Amino acid sequence: MTEAHWLTAGEIGSAYAARRLSPVELVQALLNRISALDPQLNAFIRVDIEAALDAARDAEKDIVAGRARGPLHGVPIGIKDIIDVAGLPTTCHSKILLDNIAAEDAAVISRLRAAGAILLGKLSLHEFATGGPSFDLPFPPARNPWNIAHHPGGSSSGSGAALAAGLVPLALGTDTGGSIRNPAAICGIVGLKPTYGLVSRRGVFPLAFTLDHIGPMTRCVGDAALLLDAIAGHDARDPGSVPVSCSRFGADLERGARGLRIGFVRHFHETDLPADPEVARALDDVSRVLTQEGAEVRTITLPPLRELSAVQRLIMQAESWAIHASWLRERPGDYARATRRKLMIGAFHSAADYVHAQQHRLQMIAAVDDAFRDADVLLTANAMDPACRIDDEDTLARTYARQARSPFNLTGHPAIALMCGLTKTGLPLSAQLVGRAHDEVTLLRAAAAYERASEWHRHRPPI
Amino acid sequence: MPVKANESGPDVLALARKIGLEKAVHEFPDDVIAAAQAAARTRSDLPATNNPADEPWPPMRVRTPS
Repeated sequence: MTEAHWLTAGEIGSAYAARRLSPVELVQALLNRISALDPQLNAFIRVDIEAALDAARDAEKDIVAGRARGPLHGVPIGIKDIIDVAGLPTTCHSKILLDNIAAEDAAVISRLRAAGAILLGKLSLHEFATGGPSFDLPFPPARNPWNIAHHPGGSSSGSGAALAAGLVPLALGTDTGGSIRNPAAICGIVGLKPTYGLVSRRGVFPLAFTLDHIGPMTRCVGDAALLLDAIAGHDARDPGSVPVSCSRFGADLERGARGLRIGFVRHFHETDLPADPEVARALDDVSRVLTQEGAEVRTITLPPLRELSAVQRLIMQAESWAIHASWLRERPGDYARATRRKLMIGAFHSAADYVHAQQHRLQMIAAVDDAFRDADVLLTANAMDPACRIDDEDTLARTYARQARSPFNLTGHPAIALMCGLTKTGLPLSAQLVGRAHDEVTLLRAAAAYERASEWHRHRPPI
Repeated sequence: MPVKANESGPDVLALARKIGLEKAVHEFPDDVIAAAQAAARTRSDLPATNNPADEPWPPMRVRTPS
C-alpha cells in the first residue's frame, strides 16, 4: 500500500471503508511527518494537534459504527490562515492580526466540519494574500518541497508546500489574482479556482471583494472534485454567493476527453508574455496529449493578456487599498515591505480609474464567454517561468507578474492548475484549463483526462 | 489620486501626505514612490478608454424581498 502520507482523499476513504487504515493512524502519521519536515518547509503557522486527534477519534468511532458521513469523513485538511476557524487566530500571516481570534467558523469551515473533515491546522501564506515571500514577518515564509532554496508560489504558499510534501492530503486556498493556481503550479499539485460565487467567502479575510475566490488544493483532480462537493453551495450571508444547485462535480471524471473542444490560447505565452522555453514545450505537450485522448484542440484568441491583467490589477489595487487604508496610515511598519508596496498602490488611483476598469471588465467577461462558443474548455499557460530562489528579489519581482491566471479572477470563470512537466533542474511546470462559468463538471472532466494520460501527478519531490 | 508616470519623488510624497500616508512617507519613502510608480504602470497597460457611458460591472441590483 502507498505510504499513508501520500494517499489521496479518495484512497483514504477506500482504506477507511476496508479497515486498512484508521483516522487516528493517519492523523498521527501526518503529525509525525509535519514534525519531521515542517521545520524546513514552514508550511504551517499552527498545528492543532489535540483538536485534530480528538476529531480523528470521533471520526474513527463513527466510521467503525457504520455512521460514515461521506467521502471526506475522517480526512485531514490544512486551512490557509486567512480563513476563520472559531477559537483560533486568523493572522493572515501578519503582525497586524496576530491576536485576531475568530468568533465563528467561516462558511467553508462549517461545511467541512459537516462533511466530517479533520482540521489539522492553519497554513502559511503571503501576508494578507498579497506581497510575496517575506522575511520581515512574524512567521517565516513557506519553502518549495522540490527545492527548499526556491519559493513555493503564493499566496497560498503553505497550502502548496504542505500538499507537495505529503503533510496533508487536502488544503484550502484563496485566489484573487492566481493565489491557488500559482502555488499549485510551482509545487506540482492541483489547484482549482471555482466560478466566482460558487463557494462562500464569508469568514475569509478579503483582499479584493469582487475578485476573491476560495477553492480546493489537492494532489489529484478527483480530490479537487470531492473537496468542491463539500465546500460549494449558496450562502445567503455572502452577498456574492450564487444560488445555483450544486451537482456532483466529479460526475464526468471518467468520461475522457473524446469529443471535447479545447481552445488553446497560444498568444498568452507565445507573443503577449513569451514563456520560458521549457514552459512553452510543456504546453505543446499538453495539447498533444489531449489530442491523443480524442479532444479537438484549436487555437483561440482572447483580449491581450497585458490588458486583461491590467484591468484585474487595477480593481485589485483599488479594492485592497480600501480595505487596508487605515492600517497603512497608522501602522505602515507592521507590514512586510513587499506587502506595503503592493497595498499602497491603490492610493494612487482615482475613483474614475476604478469605474473605467469595471467598464472594461464587462467587455472582457463577454469576450471570454464568446470564446466558449467554439470551445468547451480553454488551455492556457499558468506561470510563464519555473520557480526561482526564494531570496532572489529581482527575479521574484519579475516572474511573479508573468502569468496568465488573473484574467479569470477578472471574469470569474473556473480555472484549474495541473502539473504538466519538470524542468531540467527538477522543478514542476503547470498548465491551466479554464471552463465555462458554472461548468466545473466539464472542466474537471478535461483535467482528469489529461491527468490520467500524463500521470505527472504521481511525481513526488525529493524530500 | 492618480500620479503621472513621470511625476517626481517629492511630488509623489507630497501627494501621499495629502492622502494621509504621512507615516509611510516619513518611514518608507521609497515604498511610497514605488507604489505610485506601480499605479502609473497599471494605468498605462489599460485598454484605450472606452465609451464613458458604458455600464460598469457589476450592475446595480435591488435585493429580492425575502
